[in-house]
Amino acid sequence: MAKILLVEDNEMNRDMLSRRLERKGFEVVMAPDGQQGIELAASEAPDLILMDMSLPVLDGWEATRRVKAADTTRKIPVIALTAHAMVGDREKAINAGCDDYDTKPVDFPRLLGKIETLLQREKE
Amino acid sequence: MLSLLPMRVFWQAAAVAFVVIGAAGAGVMLSIGGLPLLVRATVPAVIATVLSALVIGVLARQVNVALARHADAMRAHYERELARTTAELRNTLENMHQGVAMYDADYKLLTWNQRFREYLDMPDEFFSRDRSFIDYLRYVGARGEFGDQDIESVVAQRIEQLKHVHSFERTRPDGTVLEVYRAPTPDGGFIAIYTDITERKQAEQELMRAMEEAEAANRVKSGFLANMSHELRTPLNAIIGYSQMLQEEAQDAGQSEFVPDLTKIENAGKHLLGLINDILDLSKIEAGRMTVFVEETKVSSVVAEVRSIIEPLAAKNGNRLVVDCPDAIGAFETDITKLKQSLLNLLSNASKFTKNGTVTLAVTRDGDDRVVFRVTDTGIGMTEEQLGRLFQAFAQADSSTTRKFGGTGLGLAITRHFARMLGGDVTVTSQPGEGSTFTLVLPARQGEEAAAQPATTTKRAVSGDVAGERTVLVIDDDEAVHETVGGMLGREGYRVVHARNGRDALDMARKERPDAITLDVMMPHMDGWSVLTALKNDAELADIPVIMLTMLNERAIALQLGAAGYITKPIDWPQLSAMLRRFGGRGAGARVLIVDDDPEMRAVTRRILERSGHVVAEAANGEEGLAWLGSNAPPAVILLDLMMPVMDGFEFLERMRGSAAWRDVPVLVVTAKTLDSRDVETLRGLTQRIIDKGASTGIDLRAAIRDVLRSHETAPKAATV
Repeated sequence: MAKILLVEDNEMNRDMLSRRLERKGFEVVMAPDGQQGIELAASEAPDLILMDMSLPVLDGWEATRRVKAADTTRKIPVIALTAHAMVGDREKAINAGCDDYDTKPVDFPRLLGKIETLLQREKE
Repeated sequence: MLSLLPMRVFWQAAAVAFVVIGAAGAGVMLSIGGLPLLVRATVPAVIATVLSALVIGVLARQVNVALARHADAMRAHYERELARTTAELRNTLENMHQGVAMYDADYKLLTWNQRFREYLDMPDEFFSRDRSFIDYLRYVGARGEFGDQDIESVVAQRIEQLKHVHSFERTRPDGTVLEVYRAPTPDGGFIAIYTDITERKQAEQELMRAMEEAEAANRVKSGFLANMSHELRTPLNAIIGYSQMLQEEAQDAGQSEFVPDLTKIENAGKHLLGLINDILDLSKIEAGRMTVFVEETKVSSVVAEVRSIIEPLAAKNGNRLVVDCPDAIGAFETDITKLKQSLLNLLSNASKFTKNGTVTLAVTRDGDDRVVFRVTDTGIGMTEEQLGRLFQAFAQADSSTTRKFGGTGLGLAITRHFARMLGGDVTVTSQPGEGSTFTLVLPARQGEEAAAQPATTTKRAVSGDVAGERTVLVIDDDEAVHETVGGMLGREGYRVVHARNGRDALDMARKERPDAITLDVMMPHMDGWSVLTALKNDAELADIPVIMLTMLNERAIALQLGAAGYITKPIDWPQLSAMLRRFGGRGAGARVLIVDDDPEMRAVTRRILERSGHVVAEAANGEEGLAWLGSNAPPAVILLDLMMPVMDGFEFLERMRGSAAWRDVPVLVVTAKTLDSRDVETLRGLTQRIIDKGASTGIDLRAAIRDVLRSHETAPKAATV
């Protein structure tokens, strides 16, 4: 059972997304801000991280960079979640080290597809 | 009547007449009959002579009296005239709103009016004709109005001034403000006119205040738009998300009878979201705050994305979607988000208004410089009247349409705005019952207008030999920038070369190898970022220092941070002084708090500010800054470095703004101006985020800026942790 770390500050978004992911069979751990996100990434060793980009304390970009910079967490695939499609988002996400990105409001099936793709890749 | 004067005339005239007539008579008699006749005729002759003399005397007197009376009458007349004129003048003077005084060539008071007396605020004894302006000046000097300047030298100065027309303002003890105007008069004296301008000054101040309020309101509105965007979308996402989730759970739990109702909630939520997005877009457009972000993109990739979104929508009404986009179309420069939004709008309209028909998107190139997107449907079509109302916001063909077909009625208005912002347009043809065709035409390159400009002329330095000339390449699509920046650089002795679009920029850079390049990444039509990227990616050009004329959206930063101003390092001292003066740091003793972690920076700034009479306090980081504020009276101005350890400038500002005591202290934010060849992408992304404020919260923005600046200011690091 794959473990997903969801870093999202909005309570309702966290609730919705975690429940839907759990119903699909994932184990979900959550962090409400970037700082805790980094900490949980290190301590929980998730198989994938869903990172909301607008976070308090430490934003998603910086958190992603740090996760990718630390040895213990560097290999974990990260999907960035941004508020709505903006130009240049894709490049920005890639530059911060994200492996993929998706937009909010979340299109669940689409997001699932991206998650599966990345998890598959990690297995190989 | 019988005054002495006329009598004297009488006697004088009589005497003269007597002598003259007597002599004449005697002469006549002598010549006629010689001496015997004269002797015989003496007595009658004398009598005749005396009588004539008397008559002449009386006549003379009468004439004289008449003349005198006439003279009296004339004098009386002129005196009346004079009195009347004087009274008129006096009346005028006294009824004037202004205080007037005239001084003669010795600067003594000649005439003045009551208002002048009032306005002068001087003791009564000054208002007499033996008083001179110099007395007045000395009195005023003794009263202390010249500060600690030497009274006599001030007097001499003021006297000197009297030779020319001059004016100045003075405030009376009761607070009213006068305008004092003095002008020399032809006779060597001068006239002084005092006008009460208190009301005018008040009006000016109110105008300033109104302007400031308007600007503040405008800022609030922008902030409101940005916040509302986030605030409105968040709960809606919850509605949409939860209803979707519940549908899934209901299906799984075998309770699919709940699904239709849940779907209705989801759809209503999506509809509302669409409305909100459109309204916010329109507000932004109308507030002039919608910006264009130009990038190069392959047409086919945008079309592919749009197709995948529209396909399900078209299918819902049983429509067939046909997309004709040949690969040969290639790439073009545009704002991708806006293009997508526009195509989605046109295609979803086509799908909505067509049932069991065909929706076609055909893309062609019109010559080298235009790309044409044609959306055709076989739907219900529109009448002439409907066509007329088509692009107006909120005037969807008619209200029954909204109910029947959904949609917001705003999409087309937005699409047309976008098209026009990009230099293109949207047009439509339609036949009721047969279908409609919408044609979106966009220019292939966004720098086109700029390219039409006349060829550049290099500005040569006025002084300096050719060998010693340093060259600066100015890149901008705004001609005004070329004039100002180019002009300034030229005056400084640089040789300036110009480029007005991306291609020329690279060509010029390669050809000229300038010593520096100025570039503004926030140009509306040229993508400064691609130019910058290209420059830094070119091995030959990467080392040329690029000076960003606006590093980030200054207003955005300044506003977001609540700063009053923004100054770049290395600090331009005259600019700093000007800003300090503007923000209330004027005058001796004005306190300035410098918050900066660089001790040398603090020391240098201190020296300069102390020289101009400021009192300087220092803090090495945000925390020390707050501590200082907590135990001292608020300074006139704060100079704030953004990047500091312990507590950086952002947090400091936020704390400051949270406190009523410090909220209004003006803060000048200090940050770096030149960029090395690093972090272009990060900065670009950062800038984009600032532009699209709706997508980021305040915290997000700060952290992002912090990242970029920190990695720029400190030495290159192997990894950021």
